[in-house]
Amino acid sequence: MNRAHEEIDPIRLGILWDRLVSICDEIVEGLVRTSFSSIVREGYDVSVVLFDRDARMFAQGTRSIPVFIGTAPTMIRNMLSKFPPDSLKPGDILITNDPIHGTGHLFDISVLRPVFRGEERVGYSMTITHLPDIGGMGFSASATESFHEGIFIPVCRLYDGGELNTFILDLLRANVRTPEQVIGDVMANVGANELGGRQLLDFMAEYGVDDLRPVSEAVRRQSEAAVRSALREIPDAIYRNRLDFEGPSGPLELAVAIDKQDDGLVIDFSGSSPCVSTGINVPLCYSRAMALYAIKCATAPTIPNNEGAALPIQVTAPENCILNALRPFPSAGRHVVGHFVPPLVNGALAEVLSDRVQADSGMADILTFHGRHPDGSPMATLYFLSGGFGAMTELDGRSATPGPSNMAVVPVELWESRTGITIVEKRLVPDSGGAGEQRGGLGQIAVLRNDTGYPLKVFSMANRWQFPARGLMGGGSGSLRRHLLNDNPIPATGMQVLAPGDRLTIVEAGGGGMGDPRRRSRESVHRDVALGFVTEEQAREVYGLDKPLASRGS
Amino acid sequence: MTGIRIGIDIGGTFTDLAMVGDGLTGFVLHKELTTPDDPARAVLDGLAVLLANETRSIAEVTQIVHGTTLVTNAVIERKGAVTGMLVTKGFSDTLDIGLEHRYDLYDLRIGFAEPLVERHARVEIDERMRHDGGVETRLDPQAAVMAVRKLIAEAGIEALAICFLHSYKNPAHERAARDAIAVAFPNLPVSLSSDVFPYMREYERWTTTTVNAYAQPKLDRYLSRLEEGLAAMGFAGRFDLMSSSGGIVTPDFARRYPVRMLESGPAAGVLMAAHHAERAEAATVLAFDLGGTTAKGAFVQDGAPLKSYEFETARSYNHRRGSGLPLRMPVVEMTEIGSGGGSLAHIDPRGLLAMGPRSAGADPGPASYGRGGTGATLTDANLLLGILDPGFFLGGAMALDEQKAAGAVAAHVADPLGFSLSRAAFGMHDVINEDIARAFRIHAAERGIDFRRATMVASGGGGPIHGTAVARKLGIPKVILPLGAGAMSALGLLVAPFSLETARSHPVALADLDADSFARIMTDMMEEARGELSRAGVPAASVRLTGALDMRFQGQGYEIECPLPDLADLGMVFAGLRQRFLAAYRAIFGNIVLDEPIELISWKVAGTGPKPPLDLSHAMPPGGAAVKGHRPCWLPEAGDYVSTPVYDRYAVQPGAVIAGPALVEERESTAFLRRGDRAMLDNAGNLVVAIDTAREARGDEAVAAGGRT
Repeated sequence: MNRAHEEIDPIRLGILWDRLVSICDEIVEGLVRTSFSSIVREGYDVSVVLFDRDARMFAQGTRSIPVFIGTAPTMIRNMLSKFPPDSLKPGDILITNDPIHGTGHLFDISVLRPVFRGEERVGYSMTITHLPDIGGMGFSASATESFHEGIFIPVCRLYDGGELNTFILDLLRANVRTPEQVIGDVMANVGANELGGRQLLDFMAEYGVDDLRPVSEAVRRQSEAAVRSALREIPDAIYRNRLDFEGPSGPLELAVAIDKQDDGLVIDFSGSSPCVSTGINVPLCYSRAMALYAIKCATAPTIPNNEGAALPIQVTAPENCILNALRPFPSAGRHVVGHFVPPLVNGALAEVLSDRVQADSGMADILTFHGRHPDGSPMATLYFLSGGFGAMTELDGRSATPGPSNMAVVPVELWESRTGITIVEKRLVPDSGGAGEQRGGLGQIAVLRNDTGYPLKVFSMANRWQFPARGLMGGGSGSLRRHLLNDNPIPATGMQVLAPGDRLTIVEAGGGGMGDPRRRSRESVHRDVALGFVTEEQAREVYGLDKPLASRGS
Repeated sequence: MTGIRIGIDIGGTFTDLAMVGDGLTGFVLHKELTTPDDPARAVLDGLAVLLANETRSIAEVTQIVHGTTLVTNAVIERKGAVTGMLVTKGFSDTLDIGLEHRYDLYDLRIGFAEPLVERHARVEIDERMRHDGGVETRLDPQAAVMAVRKLIAEAGIEALAICFLHSYKNPAHERAARDAIAVAFPNLPVSLSSDVFPYMREYERWTTTTVNAYAQPKLDRYLSRLEEGLAAMGFAGRFDLMSSSGGIVTPDFARRYPVRMLESGPAAGVLMAAHHAERAEAATVLAFDLGGTTAKGAFVQDGAPLKSYEFETARSYNHRRGSGLPLRMPVVEMTEIGSGGGSLAHIDPRGLLAMGPRSAGADPGPASYGRGGTGATLTDANLLLGILDPGFFLGGAMALDEQKAAGAVAAHVADPLGFSLSRAAFGMHDVINEDIARAFRIHAAERGIDFRRATMVASGGGGPIHGTAVARKLGIPKVILPLGAGAMSALGLLVAPFSLETARSHPVALADLDADSFARIMTDMMEEARGELSRAGVPAASVRLTGALDMRFQGQGYEIECPLPDLADLGMVFAGLRQRFLAAYRAIFGNIVLDEPIELISWKVAGTGPKPPLDLSHAMPPGGAAVKGHRPCWLPEAGDYVSTPVYDRYAVQPGAVIAGPALVEERESTAFLRRGDRAMLDNAGNLVVAIDTAREARGDEAVAAGGRT
């Protein structure tokens, strides 16, 4: 009854495949709901991945942020090189937060469970989540070497044949700021993998699958073929782009050369600036994930993530350039630089995929606040604020929308109740969207007032305060990001202390525009002016509106 | 209850009327074509026809219960009132900023619903409440009046939403503004965010309030026309409406809270499923409805539909969650996916067969309708498989064209994949079953429900065709196919009790709460629920009060709803809160014990009146020959067409047993019984099917694969 070498037809494969992805999605939802880490809840900084018995990755949850694309296969091989598959037994659970083989910083813990049917190992389930804390200097870019950034747990058995290694939990507990929450999240991952294993076995029984490998192989093969066929439509050439961004002591540069041959791509980041001594360096695993994300959006967005989909695309960068950082370069804030990879890749492909790519987005602020609640208890929390989304052909960028990663609005009422920090105002900024035939999304302004009664530290790793979100195909740039303390400009990166009553103003960057603004439909320009998204002045000077405007509302 | 009761549900195509009461055996149904330009016309005309058909008089009618899509349609079609908004200074863009979240990270072109209030019709008011309910900036009510004057003059507003920050905690400013505006503009409908639904999270609360305001003038005019029309016919009984949460309310309540009338039809359908399940003594029920464009699923436990306080309306992008307007209000919880009779088959970018979410809709509809549709739809597949009879669709009211169906399935599925026509058609049928089963599994997992012991009640045109197969995939052992499955909502209106839910945001750490404060807040909410029901004429003694708290470990971002025990002794309830939460947490997330402090976030109290009796026994008139013929039907277990008996649903005798494979036809739908299924007709005319759950998807697939060319 072994179906191992039987061809799986396209109807059965679709059914099996969708079900496997749905198992991952279901477990992700459970993890998100139990998580203490706000970045997991609001941003889906969490992933669930399934492998066959040869450790080939064939299914992953769909809602996770792009950081997890293509990283799990590297991680499992890293884990299994220390604990070979044949040494694993039922009830084993391996963990590590290795940033180089994982997702680029110590906050993300990978938890792996071999799945056994009786004594037979049939596959693996892995979950990865961003922990609430990992010790060190907290979620900031202020470290100068990786050792400052928290505790590194090498690959180890958290459970050995079902028995918990309490030493590892004790070690974590002793090294982090919020031990109960960190342990709570680690154990939620353990539970999620238990569920993952159970679901995988149920799946096999339910659909009469004795061996996952043929399904896994078919899934990977179809994915690879779909990506290759999409790539074949791009003319063979080398596509280049470069961009500047704000470094800790002066501008830095990213460069890319995309060598497209037949149905494959080699993405090379040579020419990018070298690593720096603040925690914004990007391990290659993260650069690769961001590059794969950009290519996926522009070519085959609906192909589920798995090992096959990533095969046609190679990503390289010289060692210790800022997109291939090795320890001990610090990397806690690797997303600060890594988030520039999608616009870098997009810009390179704009001339051949102009209807598929997006102008640069304004990106987002993630601010860390350390201080006290009004009742004196300690407080450590994150505040998100999104800039404008980049425009695409025939689609204005949405205002206040995160990209390339994801997050969720922090409701004013929730934030004020939870922190005692008042949000005095939060509104869109007129004229902040890059002008274009399609306008970039507007940035927004938020004014926060420290009403906690205690000094409040705020850590920021912001960008786009010097280099705006660029437009494409003649579209204009979005406005710049600005931070102000009591109305005086302050650096958008680093640490500030807000005294009680101080006001921090955060102005989010606008998204880039697409195409020549003078070709924007006059009706759209009129509507933008009527709604107050564009001022009459910008309408005249940038959009070339000459007719007088009918007055309408405010 | 004496006299006649009538349920009237307006759907997209038909307005369904269901009548029960004195002198009637079971129920009587009537379908009238919906009149979109003035929905009241179909209601009144249908009522006259129904009464005339049965030679009954309007004077005998003691109650009419009405479910309407008027509010839903107003929001989807953007045909509500020009609405203005007064909002706390600094926050007029909250509706545009939205959730700052992308619901799909890979599709950069995802769409979002536009706010109902245009940006130039929002005016900021200089006032501010603090999160603790204290006043930071005092409101000048006259400033609110001046703002409204300007909105009426310049934006021409016909309705107003007043949305101030932290009004769930202290509604004084919203109320003061309303009172001043009522003096100056007595005819302007005004909705307060603290009144519509006093929940924390300004974006969702304000969006809910704008929907309320937006629909208010339209619903008021509609109800007035209906009331006048009924009065003119001589109707002197009660006239009530169904709400989104599955309880009935007075027209006065509906006029105040139109947003709570959203999706009241589907809610009524779930109530009817619950009613059937209660007769069958099923503890957990999955109500499954498959229509032309979407499939819906809802769980019912111990007779009560699961409630939710989150709902999204007017999805603007492929039925995707996240593309609509997110609302906060009590609703019967449902999951909805874009799988229906009109779902179009296509080969997805992976090279695999996929169904939907694009739909051929009702116009042009499936290829077999012969109205110009060329896409291959689920209905076309079911026709080719022999499940549907080309001459008995909608009881023969519409002929189906098999040639056109075959052409479409060949062009879009069979030829590209290299399959036989029948294998392709069965693939389409089976992919839909899988898609639906998967959606229900996820829904069950989110709510921690074990559906393997559930009973399914299947309705809608496609429910009886796909119900048994979906149940088998889910391991559900029993499926009820009710008589009148095509008018479930109209019937459901007749089993709905009066009910009212109240809810409040009041976040507090369990450690900071004492028994007295707990009892004070709960008592206040219980009084509110009792008061509203007593205004609807429900005697206080017959009101059943239930409570629930949304709780979580401090630091988590999601709450779980913990139902409370009997509210008679609030001291006992308070003492058991911690244990209640831990038990509910474990039930969903497994045996994880955390030492974190617990907090209460939202408080909910529901008051429910007695459920009206509805006796469906002996609803079936005795009929003639049960088997009306045989036709070839493609069965996966045979991998071929097999001559399959076709039963006339109206002729099957109560107690008769039908063994699958078999088809059981009624006017609006066909039940498809697979091998191993055994159906028995109960005395209400319902087919109760025992599913052979040992035969799983593997059985289908293993044999079906043999049909490949």
